[in-house]
Amino acid sequence: MTNFLLYIDPGSGSYLVQMILAAVLGVSMFFKNIKLYVKHFFGRFSKKNKDN
Amino acid sequence: MAIQPAKHPASYRDPAGFIFSQDGTIYRQVNQVFQTDFDLFINSGCYQALVDKGLILAHREVDLQLPTDSNRYKTLKPELVGFISYPSEWPFDMLKDAALLTLRLMKEAIAFGLILKDATPYNIQWHEGALRFIDSLSFERYDPSQPWDAYRQFCESFLGPLLLNHYGKLPSAKAFLAYPDGVPVSVTAGILPWRSRFSFHTYLHIHLQNKLTKNATVGTGQAGNFSKQKLLNLVSSLESLVSSLRLPKQATTWSGYYDEASTRNDYLARKLAMVREWIGLLSGNLSCIDFGANEGEFSCIASEANLETVAVDFDPLCVNRLYQASKAGFRKKILPLVIDLSNPTPGTGLDNREHQSFSNRGKFDIALALALIHHLAIGKNIPLERSAAFFARFTKYLVIEFVPKSDEKIRLMLSGRKDIYTTYSQENFESAFAEHFETLRSADIAGSGRILYLMARKEADIPAANI
Repeated sequence: MTNFLLYIDPGSGSYLVQMILAAVLGVSMFFKNIKLYVKHFFGRFSKKNKDN
Repeated sequence: MAIQPAKHPASYRDPAGFIFSQDGTIYRQVNQVFQTDFDLFINSGCYQALVDKGLILAHREVDLQLPTDSNRYKTLKPELVGFISYPSEWPFDMLKDAALLTLRLMKEAIAFGLILKDATPYNIQWHEGALRFIDSLSFERYDPSQPWDAYRQFCESFLGPLLLNHYGKLPSAKAFLAYPDGVPVSVTAGILPWRSRFSFHTYLHIHLQNKLTKNATVGTGQAGNFSKQKLLNLVSSLESLVSSLRLPKQATTWSGYYDEASTRNDYLARKLAMVREWIGLLSGNLSCIDFGANEGEFSCIASEANLETVAVDFDPLCVNRLYQASKAGFRKKILPLVIDLSNPTPGTGLDNREHQSFSNRGKFDIALALALIHHLAIGKNIPLERSAAFFARFTKYLVIEFVPKSDEKIRLMLSGRKDIYTTYSQENFESAFAEHFETLRSADIAGSGRILYLMARKEADIPAANI
């Protein structure tokens, strides 16, 4: 009952998947960017300490 | 009436054009229906940029009196690829690099307002020491509001086989024998271990996709509000997943073979010198195949002599190591493939002709079969006559090593087994090969009892002056 999509064009079944995946990845990128920003901020801070 | 072009049996899927051959040369016809996209590909500078970076095969437009049909827009003559290979023969890292090349091309193309409309390893070939994308009709105009048409194809034909290999379930090459067009996401999801769900990107692209596809009904996939950033995120996610995949570490029967072989007096050094000298005698030839290549020590000699060299072995790990060396430039020009000589790649796809069998593709000038015949005769019970006929299909010249029954290796193979190989002898070997080949040289290798032969196929036109 669940295999209808096997009989239609392989591309079309992946549209919905890509919409959802893009949403999940968007959120993950958002947090990744925050993480990178924080890391960068403290990284710069500790580098300054080292330089001193 | 115009002569109809002889279309390649694999070239039927894409309405944008097709491949055909004329007098032994390969051409590609671009159909009128694809005119706008093809012009954009060329005029945007995308084509030239990708050629300059060595990512795709170059072509030139030809306007000769060639067979054509009424749909023709242009005819292209692509650079000739030496030996066509398929993912069912590729080592793990070669498939991985092909996947990364596909994703890189996606990024490059998007920058020019184009996108890849398909994502299959059959569009990639090994050419002049690197993987190159060969299908210039795969690039079409990019509409940022739409997701990627080839996303699922990418997951099935690259991600699935790579993940199955990464998690130690199946060599990636073998997956293509069962599923030439890629492993369905549901099959991959079913085979992968439970712990694979804890890998974020694997979960998204395999397990979540499988779940969503199962539960979806037709019509729910309304597209229209996708964006370029979303697509780039998707491509980056695939890229970071593919880059993280590794071949599981295992010692094989053959790892360390040369270390061990070289300890036997000066056996290896002498053999290397003899093969080098004999290959030197056969100058003017173009291609070489090394059967049972192991880590490619001898393929390297052929490659150094400027022969297009294909190195085959049945051990995927050995072949993978050779691929890494070849890619890094230590083994220049060698194409390493996973082939089991007792079961070479069959013809697959439509009519069994879409992807030709290994035996039908293999035409070489020189073949090396070193320390191999006993594995075929005693390891696989293949009669010497059948081996001789098999080699004669592939090559004009054959450099082959005979290993006598008294050899330590054969005694090891026969220990604990009944010796049913009463016909395995030097005399029978020579008479079996004399059916197809003429012996030009033969010599004992450094007193090891093993004998090296240089043979020429009987009907071959032998440049007698050189030998």
